[in-house]
Amino acid sequence: MLLKIEKIEICYGIIPAVRNLSLEVEEGQIVALVGANGAGKSTTLKALAGVLHPRVGKIFYKDKDITQLSAYRRVPLGIALVPEGRQLFSTLSVKENLRLGAYHSNDKEFKERLKEIYSIFPIIKERENQIAGTLSGGEQQMLSFGRAIISKPKLLLLDEPSLGLAPLIIKEVYKTINTIKMTGITIVLVEQNVKMAMHIANYMYVLEAGELTIQGEPLKLMKDENIKKAYLG
Amino acid sequence: MYGASYIYQQIFNGIVLGSIYALLALGMALVYGILGLINFAHGALITIGAFCFYFLLFKFNLPFVLAIILTISLGGFVGFLSEAIGYRKLRGGPGLSLLITSLGIYIFIENAIKLLISPQPYAFFNPPFLNRIINSFITFRVIDIFIIITTIVIMICFGLFVKRSKIGIAMRGIAESVETAGLVGINVNQVITWSFVVASAIAALTGFMWGAKYGQISYNMGFMPGVIAFVAVVIGGIGSIPGAVLGGFLIGLIQIFTVGFLPLGWSVYRDAIVFTLLIIVLLIKPMGILGRRESM
Amino acid sequence: MIKVNYSNKPNTFSGIWIPFGVGLGFLFVVLGIFNLVLDNYILHIITVIGIYIIAATSLNLTNGYTGLFSLGHTGFMLIGAYTSVLLTYKVSLRAAYNLPSLPTLLGGANYQWPFLPALLTGGVIAAIVAMIVGYPVLRLRGHYLAVASLGFMIIVTTMAKGMKSFTRGASGIQVIPHYSNLWNVYIWVAITIFVLWRILQSAPGRAMLAIRESEVSAQSQGINLMKYKLYAFVSGAFFAGIAGGLYAHFTRSIRPYEFSFSMTFFIVIMPIIGGSRNLFGPALGASLLIAMRYLLKPAEEALGVYGLVELIYAALLVSVMLWRPGGILGKESRAK
Repeated sequence: MLLKIEKIEICYGIIPAVRNLSLEVEEGQIVALVGANGAGKSTTLKALAGVLHPRVGKIFYKDKDITQLSAYRRVPLGIALVPEGRQLFSTLSVKENLRLGAYHSNDKEFKERLKEIYSIFPIIKERENQIAGTLSGGEQQMLSFGRAIISKPKLLLLDEPSLGLAPLIIKEVYKTINTIKMTGITIVLVEQNVKMAMHIANYMYVLEAGELTIQGEPLKLMKDENIKKAYLG
Repeated sequence: MYGASYIYQQIFNGIVLGSIYALLALGMALVYGILGLINFAHGALITIGAFCFYFLLFKFNLPFVLAIILTISLGGFVGFLSEAIGYRKLRGGPGLSLLITSLGIYIFIENAIKLLISPQPYAFFNPPFLNRIINSFITFRVIDIFIIITTIVIMICFGLFVKRSKIGIAMRGIAESVETAGLVGINVNQVITWSFVVASAIAALTGFMWGAKYGQISYNMGFMPGVIAFVAVVIGGIGSIPGAVLGGFLIGLIQIFTVGFLPLGWSVYRDAIVFTLLIIVLLIKPMGILGRRESM
Repeated sequence: MIKVNYSNKPNTFSGIWIPFGVGLGFLFVVLGIFNLVLDNYILHIITVIGIYIIAATSLNLTNGYTGLFSLGHTGFMLIGAYTSVLLTYKVSLRAAYNLPSLPTLLGGANYQWPFLPALLTGGVIAAIVAMIVGYPVLRLRGHYLAVASLGFMIIVTTMAKGMKSFTRGASGIQVIPHYSNLWNVYIWVAITIFVLWRILQSAPGRAMLAIRESEVSAQSQGINLMKYKLYAFVSGAFFAGIAGGLYAHFTRSIRPYEFSFSMTFFIVIMPIIGGSRNLFGPALGASLLIAMRYLLKPAEEALGVYGLVELIYAALLVSVMLWRPGGILGKESRAK
């Protein structure tokens, strides 16, 4: 088991956003966390990235307890986040953004990885010296992927990668997610767009008001009448 | 009214003083860009640098270059300490608590020097080669050229550091968003510490320059140059390092011109004029000369 | 050590004048007892404390309650000090000390003002200058305001140095009439704290607190930011002017540099150490710091360790910032 969450509770101030949540992620899979707005998906993902820390419960990565480890210490272990809304350094160039994604490598390693990233995302190479804030939405999302992948993660956390993008570009993004999966990276995907998530995920967890309600393989869940009603319209 | 050589002389003097301000403003802009902090303690590093060099060279008779290197190192170390002790815990809190703490750190260092060394000013003697006078179209000493060249070299190195190096890029990234920097894996504490170390090391070096140029050092010598450096940052444009440098040179020239071209009684106002300029700039062009929009 | 009128805690009594009267009466009974039992040196210190209480409490109106961190307060003190001294200065000494005679409009060459009108004029002039300076400067926020107001202080002190025909420049003015004493100083302490209390209880006071919490949301509630910032700044400056006038007529000699950065630092840290969100925090801070200075100065001079007092202040300030950000009388810091 690559990642294991045991009964975590995460609070904002005194208000719990996630309660008694346990889940597991197997290596090589895409696991999707879905649910309505405010269900606690992003909160969970932030706890995995180390931005938030659960008050109760434990998070194990490769059987190691990482519950209280801060974000920048998790990146060298192989956990990388593609944050919601991309969160690029918009005043830095594309290449500089990638350099910061590879903060834990030296200049030589960075150069090698840069080549790999450019081969996965040729569009980024064309924009190498452009300021990130001036890229289009789709290009920014690609750069955000690139910035995460350049740190050589084993586990990639994707927070709403389709948010605010045009349908055509969303398709592009999901193609990319598949490509990333093919390279052997395990992915935890948070998504409001349940349809997209179902197509790509190996396993799904459905959250509601901070608690886990349903889990299972997408094909099985698709047959569930309740889910159909609630999420697929 | 004034001969051409007198005017050039004043411009030259302005550039020398401006170089010192520009170096100070450089470090101030770096720290302000990252933490949004006017680091009053920056001025204290000037004093520390001046006294450190004085003792190393004249009391311990160390070679010039070694004394300079040790002075810079001590400056960097004090910058490291002030960040670790004073600022780290307060980061992310109310903005003014950092400012107030930096005031406290400034007063602490100033009075520690007053107490441990002397409440009286010291005369600062230069190594003889720095005092050699060169008379050509204008008159200057070797120290003046030393200051200008050192400033240019530091600026080039600093520019390359911020533009090219991993830590430098991270500094600019953190200046944009501390949160994002943390979650892409940057060790934010380490980078902030580096920015203090770099800024403070440069400030310590300007302490030597100040002493060598003006021949006198005292426990409170650093306050005014430190505050003026921040004025340079604001006039040049917050968030812009070239702006800070430009602001530094501008203030240097203005101060020298105040003394050199205005009637004798006006030289009292050399600092007051800088602040009047500050208030005017803030009112008509709050972003400064080269600044981008400030989000505060 | 001293009991300022702690009895009139806000909201304890519904009346306004009753608590003020009771507080004032109590204060003067205490001072009367002090006057009888304590020696002159201690009374001197208590008077100095009173002057600093006025300065620190009035500064806290901007720095503590409105969230405008000003470093220019001593500039207003200087204005109040010089204005009142130029009015009260003895006619017979003016020529000898190179000070100008009063123009006809202000009473003519053979007139010197009594203390109270001169003191009030000092406060009013300081307030007028605050109005003129505040209008542009208070548009600035946070750190900009801090540096701009520091700049104002430097401009004022250099002007006092430069305008030699009025101020005798850097050599300062001596032999000022000795008008300030324990009683009139503490009447002004009571007035300052009372007025501040009334302001904070009123609508403008609530507007100031709202501005401190968030300028944006204050504005969205329809609060005229500039109006209330000016209100705080100008009221603070008036009392700074009074404090300056009292100071000048107590120490009997003033120099421009006295009012520069070390005094600024001194006054700015009083509310912070005492507790800037409590009406009596600045008074506590002022009492504590001044008492400490008088306790330590002899040691400092005897041992030749100049700077010791300031060193301790600075260490105290940084400790408060790190471990008790609300000051001594502050509640536990709120997470932000």
